[in-house]
This record gives sequence, C-alpha cells and structure tokens, in this order.
Amino acid sequence: MSDESDISGMGEDSVLAAEYALGLLSADEHARAAARLRAEPALRSDLRFWQGRLASLDDGFAETAPPPAAWTALEGRLFAERRAPWWDSLMLWRSFAGVTAAIALVAIMINVMAPAPDPNAFAAQLVAALSAQGSNVQVVALYNAQSGEVRLTALSGDKVPDKDYQLWAIQGDAAPKSLGLIKIDARNDVKLPADVLAAFGPGTTLAISLEPLGGSPKATPTGPVVAVGKATAI
Amino acid sequence: MAETAAEIADLLARCALRDRAAFKTLYGRTSAKLYGVTLRILRDRSEADEALQEVYVKIWQRADKYVPGGYSPISWLVAVARNHSLDVLRARKPQGEDIDLALDVADAGPNPEQAEAARGERSRIDNCLGQLDEEKADAVRGAYLDGYSYEELATRHKVPLNTMRTWLRRSLMKLRECLSA
Repeated sequence: MSDESDISGMGEDSVLAAEYALGLLSADEHARAAARLRAEPALRSDLRFWQGRLASLDDGFAETAPPPAAWTALEGRLFAERRAPWWDSLMLWRSFAGVTAAIALVAIMINVMAPAPDPNAFAAQLVAALSAQGSNVQVVALYNAQSGEVRLTALSGDKVPDKDYQLWAIQGDAAPKSLGLIKIDARNDVKLPADVLAAFGPGTTLAISLEPLGGSPKATPTGPVVAVGKATAI
Repeated sequence: MAETAAEIADLLARCALRDRAAFKTLYGRTSAKLYGVTLRILRDRSEADEALQEVYVKIWQRADKYVPGGYSPISWLVAVARNHSLDVLRARKPQGEDIDLALDVADAGPNPEQAEAARGERSRIDNCLGQLDEEKADAVRGAYLDGYSYEELATRHKVPLNTMRTWLRRSLMKLRECLSA
C-alpha cells in the first residue's frame, strides 16, 4: 500500500478538512481550502466533524488572566471611540421608562402573534415584532415585497398628548431614515422610499420613537425609542 | 459545567441585544481562557494582548451568530480566539474572510444531540490519539494547541516537510476512523 493510496480517494477531503481545522496549511493552501469550503457543503460537514471532535482538546489551553489594562482598552475601543448609535443601548431605552407605566416584553411568537394576513392582497414575507423595555408599545410589522409596503399593526400602546409616533428604518451602520409618522390606534400601511427599499431585508431594524407633534425636527430621532425590532423572514 | 455553559450562552444572547453589562460579565468569565489561547499560539505578550482585543471586538459584533443548543458556547469562543490567532500567525495580519468562514461553519455546528454526545468526546479523542504513535499524537496536539503548521512540525521533528505531511495525513485518516467508530 503506497502513501498515495492512503491519502487519496474518499478520505482525502476529510483529511483536508482536518488540516484546515488544525491550521496545518500554509497561508496559500489555507486560502485555497477556504475557497473550496465556501463552495462545497460536503466539505463543510467534514470540517464540522473535526471542529466538534477537536474542541475536546480545548482543556489544553491554560487559563491566564489578561492584564487589567486589556479591558480598559477594549471598552474604550468599542464604546468610547465612536459614539454608539442611538438605538445601541438598552440602558437608554430603560431610562425612558416614564413614557408609560406598563412594562411590555414581547414573546417572540411572531407567527402566532402576527394577525392573519389579508388573503386578498397582503403577502407578507418579512415580519418584525417591535417593542422595547419600559414601554407598552408593541407593534407587529409585516412587509409585502410586491407592494413595497410595511403594514404596522399596534397590539398595544397609547396615544400621548402633544406627541407623534415616528417610524424609522436602520440599515447597517447608516443613520436611521424616517419612514414617516404612524398612528398607534390604527393600521398603517407605509410605503418604503426607494433608498430604504433597495436594502430592505432580514436584519433591517425598524424603530418607533416618540417625537414632538409633526415629527422629529431633525433628520434623526430626538425622542425616546418606544419600540424596536429586526425584520425576520417568514 | 453545563450550568456555566448555559450562563455563557445567556450572556452571549444578551450581547447580541447590545447589553454592555452582559459583555463585561462575559469578558470577566471568559477572558482568562481566551487569553490562554492567544498567548499559547502567538507566544508573544503584546501580540496576544492585541489579538485578545480583536477577538472580543468580534465576539461583541458577532454574538448573534452563536446558535444556542449547537456548539458549546465556550468551544465557540475558543474557536473565535484560536482562528484569529492562527490567522495572525499565518499572515502576521488578520484575514477577515477566514474568520467569517470559521464562524459560519461554527454556526451550522453540531445539533443538540451531537452536543450531548460531545460530553464524552474528551476521553474519546484522548483514547483515539492514544492509538497513534506518540510522536504523531503530539504533532496533532501541537497543531491544535500551539498552532504549529506542517513546516514548523517538520522542523521540530527534524524530518523533511513531505515526510511530515505523509505521516500526519495517515494519522488523521486513522484518527477519523477511530472518532467515527
């Protein structure tokens, strides 16, 4: 039995997956293997096999406390260097608990919670459940790709005197874009503007803020975020 | 141990919701392990410090990629640290796409039944490595824990590169057979 026959045939891909998982390959070979892995599900399944089994060796890494400065540097880099996006902090939302007394946590049973779609026209492909701690505003958003509209149905939430609710879309790292004012006591069909529509999909975040009458005086929200949720495919 | 895993999984879920307090707790719980990984593979304190920071930036940014019930959360974190350290070793600069792939693959990781089975894996892999020549088992451990490539292993074991490849590939075939049995 020659060396070649040992490593050719059916086992060869598994050996490549093992070499990749172990990190044995040179940079070039590793990059080539990565390209194949992206294209070949069977090879990825070999890789999962090895990753799962080899993870048992993790005990071999001895715990060593990093220097205290490491946390400070990390914290500075993640949270101080750039201003966090306005929706990026649970604490911020919590601090606006005065909007309403009730605490609402959405049970993410989206398919159950979503109102039965209108069978005539509204073919929803994406759904988002919008809520935030410290707020009783709960809204389900259904997106209809055919019409390019989002249908918002409030499950709970109260009108606030001298205030309007405003809907926003957040896509990637871009600033929130206004989708206009919405009524909390009625169904809203919101036509998405072309620039939002272009990138609309799973991962797009929808948020509702409470703004002065007529909406935010700025291009971005100024009031508390009372509900936020991410679009998910159904 | 299972309790710790559940706690870590919960912290990761909260990180995915941008909960900074959870991230700080997660760092407190796991940074010694992950520093152990970057330090052992990179063998240089300042590089290990820098790598640790990159690793936690990735964890903060990708916490939503961890799928509870699949890969053990600690294995997932170690995989992020290990893959990043190997990328640094390979190129002396991180290669983002490899890390993406490593994470994506981890996402699709073992299902809950496999995770259940993984509890017995530790003794299993020791047992299977024990069936290889000691030198070859050491080479596999060295690759996993120290990030040795074929080149380094060949130098350390004082054999030509191609000999090392042939040795290890055969050993990996045997290992696969044993681990699949």
